[in-house]
Amino acid sequence: MSIAALGTVTVTLTVLGASLWSVYRINEFAQQQPQTFNEIDVFLRPDLNRDNATDVESRLAKLPDVLSVHLIPREQAWKDLTAQDPTLTVAMPDDPLPDAFHIDTADARNVQRLAVLIKDRTLYPEVERVTDAGSEVRIMLAFARLVKVIGGSAAAGLFVATLFIVYNTIRLTVFARRREIRIMQLVGATPWFIRLPLLLEGLFHGVAGAGIAGFIILLFARQLTLFVNQIHSPLIGDVPSQATPLKMMASLVVTGAFVGLTGSFLSIRRYLRQI
Amino acid sequence: MIETMIEIKGASLEYEGGVAALKNVDLCVESGEFVFIVGPTGAGKSTLLKLLYRGEKATSGTVRVAGSDLSSIHPRDIPQFRRRLGIVFQDYGLLPSKTVWENIAFAPRVTGATRSETRRRVHDALEMVGMTHRPDAFPAQISGGEQQRVAIARALVNEPPMLIADEPTGNLDPDTSLGIVQLLNYINSRGTTVIVATHDAPIVDSLQRRVVAVVAGEVVRDDAQGNYRVETAVVEEPLTCV
Repeated sequence: MSIAALGTVTVTLTVLGASLWSVYRINEFAQQQPQTFNEIDVFLRPDLNRDNATDVESRLAKLPDVLSVHLIPREQAWKDLTAQDPTLTVAMPDDPLPDAFHIDTADARNVQRLAVLIKDRTLYPEVERVTDAGSEVRIMLAFARLVKVIGGSAAAGLFVATLFIVYNTIRLTVFARRREIRIMQLVGATPWFIRLPLLLEGLFHGVAGAGIAGFIILLFARQLTLFVNQIHSPLIGDVPSQATPLKMMASLVVTGAFVGLTGSFLSIRRYLRQI
Repeated sequence: MIETMIEIKGASLEYEGGVAALKNVDLCVESGEFVFIVGPTGAGKSTLLKLLYRGEKATSGTVRVAGSDLSSIHPRDIPQFRRRLGIVFQDYGLLPSKTVWENIAFAPRVTGATRSETRRRVHDALEMVGMTHRPDAFPAQISGGEQQRVAIARALVNEPPMLIADEPTGNLDPDTSLGIVQLLNYINSRGTTVIVATHDAPIVDSLQRRVVAVVAGEVVRDDAQGNYRVETAVVEEPLTCV
């Protein structure tokens, strides 16, 4: 029974840990994406002068989450465009480009909210157009949110399932040892003398299951990281290296210990009385 | 030294649903006495014994055993109280995976005795019940009578002032039963109060000791020196504490 229970606890803790690990890693991944996801470009109306631009710059700099606002004068933009593709600018008689700002934000998740705010004509009548990283970052963040919700729900469900498995295992142990426990009660063993081995059994199931589960997750995550890093895409940067396997393992073991102790405690509380 | 080992006054026990297991029981047992609790199956003998080791709590009346008031004892004090009792059951209650020696040592071990103390006590208990020749045998390797001797040794190993035995000869043949009751008599002669619930008439008759008869949850007879016989009427004056 013990091996079967340990196996079941290991499987559920593996899925539980993997869910939490995925949420954590996707969050980490979203945080560490290329800076373009954190950037907003703001284009002013062409009829505005430099003083107007400076005024807008100071207002933009005061917005929350804005790290820096960099003015790109129309002359500079024209020069850059000409350097980039001279054939494109040769037919144009004059510089048609407006002054623009390049904004760096603190968090990619707030880019869209900021862009909407700057697009508001009542607040920024000087602004003609705003561009941000757009749908790519939104898809990625939506995916991250989905994983969080699904992973979080799965983790909560699995947490309860693991608790129930330990609870049931200890219940079976109590029944298997009921004769021994009855004798202990009759010869005057203290309740803690009787409970302690059962609590330790629950703790063992939780910790050992978590340890094995952590090892499995680390192994799998390592392979997955190696695979993802082989994909060269301008959209994603390198998947961050697993800087915190020890932290993850420790969290899982603590969770396992908590589940083991709680499950066995609840079981003991209920079933020892029935002996 | 406790003068009065058991003092029960007006104790009743009613289970949920209104089933009365014991009705207004009065009983006084002095230290060092040997008492048979007799009566037909279902009369309430075992329930009366459960009151004595706080396996059950009286719904009314008072129960004092070995100096403890069991009507008001706190659950956390029950283990300490039980260390002053030895309890023997009809089914022996031995652990099949442990040897004779380990079964007896189980009691001092769980109550925190040292190894040397445990060794001494187990040796003395084995000697008292005449089982020194099979300390390494498992329960399945010895006879029913020997298993009951081991159970008695385990009950005595913590040197309690009182031994409670619930149908100790229920699974044994007449000769072996007699051997067990003689052992209990010997234990009593060394100063231990012995309370035996039984419906085994020959062993009761053989000893001619105090007999308390229980019928339908009531004490119907309390003879200082009596025989086993099934009563149908309540006696006028049961022996109570002064």
